[in-house]
Amino acid sequence: MKADSRESTPSLARLRRPIFDRVRLPPTVLLLSLVGFLGVPMVSGRFMSAVLSGGPTPPIPVLALLTLTRMTLAYFLSLAFALIYGITTAMNHRTSHVLLPLLDIFQSVPVLAFLPAVFIFFITKFPRGVGEEFASIILIFTAMVWAPTFGVIAGVNAIPQDIKEASRAYGVKGLSYLRQIVLPAVYPELVWSSLLAWGGGWYLIPVEENFSYGGTGYPLHGLGNYIATAAANRDLASSLFGLGVLVTIIIAIDELVWRPLGNRAEKYKYESVAAPQAGGARRRSRVSANVRKYEERLVSPLVSFFKYERASLSSILEAVHLKRRFHVSDRVHLQDRLARHALLGRIISLIIALTLIVVSIPTLRGIQIGSLGGALQTIETNVGYLTLALDTGASLLRIFTAYIIALGWTLGAGILIARSERVSKLLIPVFDVGQSIPGTALFPIIILLIVNSLKDSAIGLNLASILLLLAGMQWYLLFNIVGAIRGLPTDLLEASSAYGIKGRRFVKEILVPASYPAILIGSIQAWGGGWNGTIVSEYITDPNNPTGPHKVPGLGALLQSASNYTDLYASTVVIIAAVLLMTITVLTINRLVWRRLLRKAEKYKLEA
Amino acid sequence: MAVSTEPILEVRNLTKTYVNEGKSITVLDNISFQVPKQFLAVVGPSGCGKSTMLRIMDGLDRPTSGEVLFHGQPVTSPNRKIGVIFQTFALVPWKTVLGNVEMAVAYSATSKAEQLKTAKKYVQDVGLEGFETSYPKELSGGMKQRVGIARALALEPEVLLMDEPFSSLDALTAETLRREVLDIWTDQAYPTNAVIMVTHNVQEAVYMADRVLVLSGRPAKIVDDVRIELARPRSQRDPGLYDYADRIVSKIT
Repeated sequence: MKADSRESTPSLARLRRPIFDRVRLPPTVLLLSLVGFLGVPMVSGRFMSAVLSGGPTPPIPVLALLTLTRMTLAYFLSLAFALIYGITTAMNHRTSHVLLPLLDIFQSVPVLAFLPAVFIFFITKFPRGVGEEFASIILIFTAMVWAPTFGVIAGVNAIPQDIKEASRAYGVKGLSYLRQIVLPAVYPELVWSSLLAWGGGWYLIPVEENFSYGGTGYPLHGLGNYIATAAANRDLASSLFGLGVLVTIIIAIDELVWRPLGNRAEKYKYESVAAPQAGGARRRSRVSANVRKYEERLVSPLVSFFKYERASLSSILEAVHLKRRFHVSDRVHLQDRLARHALLGRIISLIIALTLIVVSIPTLRGIQIGSLGGALQTIETNVGYLTLALDTGASLLRIFTAYIIALGWTLGAGILIARSERVSKLLIPVFDVGQSIPGTALFPIIILLIVNSLKDSAIGLNLASILLLLAGMQWYLLFNIVGAIRGLPTDLLEASSAYGIKGRRFVKEILVPASYPAILIGSIQAWGGGWNGTIVSEYITDPNNPTGPHKVPGLGALLQSASNYTDLYASTVVIIAAVLLMTITVLTINRLVWRRLLRKAEKYKLEA
Repeated sequence: MAVSTEPILEVRNLTKTYVNEGKSITVLDNISFQVPKQFLAVVGPSGCGKSTMLRIMDGLDRPTSGEVLFHGQPVTSPNRKIGVIFQTFALVPWKTVLGNVEMAVAYSATSKAEQLKTAKKYVQDVGLEGFETSYPKELSGGMKQRVGIARALALEPEVLLMDEPFSSLDALTAETLRREVLDIWTDQAYPTNAVIMVTHNVQEAVYMADRVLVLSGRPAKIVDDVRIELARPRSQRDPGLYDYADRIVSKIT
């Protein structure tokens, strides 16, 4: 009966409210300014000559337009791939055995690890200027493609059994089934996962617009390049301005394209997946249950991620996914029979993935690897096994440090948001803008601020590297945790309140356990972001630095240094070694740590 | 009969208005009643605000105007003398059966060992012996609600609030649990003096309660206050029940 109990237990009405009730710029104002911003110089026509001549840096609106064009082209490529691969996987049960685990592996490989190989291939095979563009589009594609592909698979699998049966009963098949049933079912997932895809693409923009190889820079005109160039010239104001423009465009596209599309897409959602219950589930083939198992593991975390991250997702989407995630009965039922198939599929896909890495990189560079012994010998002489192991350890340690920092502050912020409305109103808009900033765009600025003030000391460089990792890791944790806390069911909050669970006990017994599965999902995503981050955060080219690039020991730095070797054979072999080492480390940690913890977290899942 | 008529809980001029997109919706309109030592059922059409009223009575929600008095003191926050049973059970999924019950015992500040003893006693009382270390998801709906009941009883509350406690259960389970709750209610060993049950099931209200308050549709007003003068233990097939039920149903529709 204490008077303060109202303050210390969360108000239910507040927690029910939509996540982001922030003050938003009226979309029209945004749209108009964007049109004016991009349109006016286009009409003036001066920009084309500037771009084509490769001469002086075009004005910012043109840079924005160029960046946006790269993103759009890569996005359409991703869309085509997602639809073809996704529908094939979800509808062809035989191939899904291998296609799904394969997708899983490639999704866990840090995309940026392929950056040097892909870039070098294109700039050596194509004329200057064209090669870079191809390479950058392909690389953005590899960053974008995963979420839509999983989205398509999830969409096809969400088609309820009764709808499938009805289609069969009324003779809807082939192309008309695809058009009338499959595409509409896929549409909402595709829209929401596109939002994620664009996020992934933006992350690459600053990197691929600034590639350098063999001491030569291959800059592409664009916003990412503008920011980095300004930072390299010690021009903080310009680099911050460029960052501001980039973030405005990112937010504008999210708000003006994806959110309206997403809201409209909701009508395509199947209201309930309760339909394919016990009866339907039994009729499903084993393989399609296998597909669903992957979907539960991979797709729903993604979905829940953007759900929490990007707000305003309707409760329908939420209900559909929560139910699907918690609908474990048939999974349990089929688990034993599935285990064998899944394992075989996993092994085959692992072999395919590793072979692809080992074959694709030398092919891209036009090199014959020859014998394994020779390759190992080259690694031994150029890097040394001990260094290889130490580099892996150093990268791991830095990711781990950044992870602990991220976990600490995001958990604290999550609890604050859950418990104080005032803090929540203040913080959420800040976080929302913060997470729109591609971590990589911050890199040159952080370098400018930290490395230059601390010089090339080990502390300064490591600090910068960890900060950069943090920028690529923390949001996954934050939005998962906030989402979980906001998603706490009312009855549970009421029961806690009615039975006097408040203050510390409320945090310890309710908030933290309720966030546990979300923390794990966020951790997996954060570590993914972290590995990607190692490649760009451990080795930063700085033309104005007399001692060359800033670097700290690690796998990412090794990968980048190796791409600059003059000995092409050694360069290729070491790149392969670094990519393989990274892939294997990521997969091992996923298997040994995260999946195990996720399985143990079952009891913390709230029932649908 | 020397039944005390002094009110334990009193609801005074209770009004609840929600403001939604500029429009205000009144769900409870100036409701007043007193609850002495009795089993009170509140019935009304779905969505009329019965549950909101129950939440206000435990301090989980706040009235727009009016107040709830518990022994003359206004209720503004959850009170350890009042237990709640939820329609959706509201069990903490990561706590065991015993853990969920202990959650309430810890509220009524005693020593750790004693808390455990009390929690165990109530888990046994609701027939869940042997399930102490099970998690809610391993239990059937009826068993989950037994945990909910044990949790409320473990508080040894003076007032027990029940929000549609049987409507998430299948008919047979609900029937069994109703009888068990009545057994507990009539058992003098339990300290609970007043039970307030919100339900839309008129038959259930008449079968269980001493008195039935009938609420109208939105905004809810008290349209009837019926005393059920039937001896306990009652039979579900008592024709007297149907007379009361008919009278109440006619008021609602």
